[in-house]
Amino acid sequence: MNKKIHILLIEDDNNVSTYTSTTLENSGYKVTAAFTGKEGLSLTASLCPDIILLDLGLPDIDGCEVIEQIRSWRDNSNIPIIVISARDSEDEKVNALELGADDYITKPFGNAELIARIRTSLRHRHPHTQGTIYRAKELEIDFEKRYIRLAGEEIHLTQVEYQLLTLLAENSGRVLTYHYLIKTIWGPYADSNNQILRVNMANIRRKIEKNPAQPVYVFTEIGIGYRMLESESG
Amino acid sequence: MNQRLSYSSPQKQHLYSFFLSTTCTGTAVAIASLFCHVMPEISCIAPLLSLLSIVVVARYTVSRWYSLGCCFFSVACFYVVFPFLDQNLSPINYSVTLLTMIIIALFVSDMSSRLTAQAETIAEREKQLYEREQETMRANLLRAISHDLRTPLTGIIGNSALLLENGANLTEEEKRKFLSCIHEDSNWLLNMVENLLTITRIRGDNLAITTGEEPVEEVISEALQKLSKRYPDAQINAKIPEEFLLVPMDAILIEQVAINLLSNAILYSKSTRPIDLIVRDTPHAVIFTVRDYGIGLPPDKLNTLFDGNTSSPSHLLDSHKGMGIGLSICKTIIAAHHGTLTARNHEEGAEFIFTLPKE
Repeated sequence: MNKKIHILLIEDDNNVSTYTSTTLENSGYKVTAAFTGKEGLSLTASLCPDIILLDLGLPDIDGCEVIEQIRSWRDNSNIPIIVISARDSEDEKVNALELGADDYITKPFGNAELIARIRTSLRHRHPHTQGTIYRAKELEIDFEKRYIRLAGEEIHLTQVEYQLLTLLAENSGRVLTYHYLIKTIWGPYADSNNQILRVNMANIRRKIEKNPAQPVYVFTEIGIGYRMLESESG
Repeated sequence: MNQRLSYSSPQKQHLYSFFLSTTCTGTAVAIASLFCHVMPEISCIAPLLSLLSIVVVARYTVSRWYSLGCCFFSVACFYVVFPFLDQNLSPINYSVTLLTMIIIALFVSDMSSRLTAQAETIAEREKQLYEREQETMRANLLRAISHDLRTPLTGIIGNSALLLENGANLTEEEKRKFLSCIHEDSNWLLNMVENLLTITRIRGDNLAITTGEEPVEEVISEALQKLSKRYPDAQINAKIPEEFLLVPMDAILIEQVAINLLSNAILYSKSTRPIDLIVRDTPHAVIFTVRDYGIGLPPDKLNTLFDGNTSSPSHLLDSHKGMGIGLSICKTIIAAHHGTLTARNHEEGAEFIFTLPKE
């Protein structure tokens, strides 16, 4: 790609903004910084950035409102949004994800982590670049032929377990909330109690992880959801 | 007067008293008259029954007027109901009965009100004592926190000032050294702040927390994941039971406990082997053990380990920064879960054990 990927950074703290911009520019991205929510919204409309990094605690309007507004637009409503949150509460993150944010990252974050999240979000906005095979370490999932192999050996999952794992694999690298997983697999009228989800995840873990306490493929984000190891084939 | 009632409004108290006195006296009189009609030969128990009802009313009502009212009512009942059964009762007899009843009623209600007052004083004193204890705990915690915050901040301010003022005269290597000190101290501060944030999840004085059934393996795995980010070289062996275990807890808090205990072991134990994290399932509780193979805990520190007292220099807590209030936060969190947290030495190092009850 000869055109640089354009990132809009909406962050009110000057120090954090400067250092994040510098990091991203050093990694080859073009960065525009906005310091308030309103400025961010107007820049989003005029510049059409490829991705938005959004701090939730803004001085004028709440970050969640920015997500809602962008998602309600007719054009560019599906720009990836990564929420940068200093708030430690899970509800806050779940709320942002449910309003349409693609992912979140908690302050303070490492540079490598930030860039990995940006790449994942960009990749998921271009589904055509994604193969029909998930491959990471020793795990291989073929979505078309519907098989799962671990170190060459086929793994047998139940119907629900297969659906769960492929859903996570299709969104590998991104966090999927409990609510989203339950709604997608069990339908909108499913019990909101996530016990059944947990039990199924535990079964999957026993089938694909060597040590369920130190998983390699599916990670838990407590109070929020699950995240699968990024596919290497995408 | 019972305790619960003494907290309700005066109207309610009086309503309750009125209800109690009418029921008691009414029942007593009804039973008495029944006996007098059916078995006149034991009609002498009528005054006794009335007396019993008066004692009960005097003990459990808010004002002596209720029991006095009962006295008059009972005697009036005898007068109206019994004379045609027993002609021997004279007016003198009635007056003596009435007088005795009044004296007993006054006596009992006076005693009862004194008892209530005493109970109230004792409760008040206990509450004050408890509050004072809480205040001391809070003050200790604040002192520990400010001490723990000041130390790394001194490092950060000092090192960055050096870089700002003498940056030109320093070699690259020296600059790097100062910068890595700043980096390390800031990470330590972050860890501290995360610990403090977890405290805010524990509400009020009675250590109330919101628990839900959480899978142990998920909590452990997230803790390990966060640790491997913070200490990429650290080696930890986790062993958990094969079966799926759900335990009521606040997952974020228990994760913090696991992180604190494990990072303590990573940083200070000088363990020669990978640190073990073992989870065992027992009928009533789940037992978590963090075991290191290092220098062990100094025996004289075992008792005060969880007090959060950082003012006394400890050779366990290497150099100026230690676990600080981390361990006392662990203790608080586990106490809020009604579990136990203990530390001890084994042959090859130290181990921290905490339990979470299943109910």
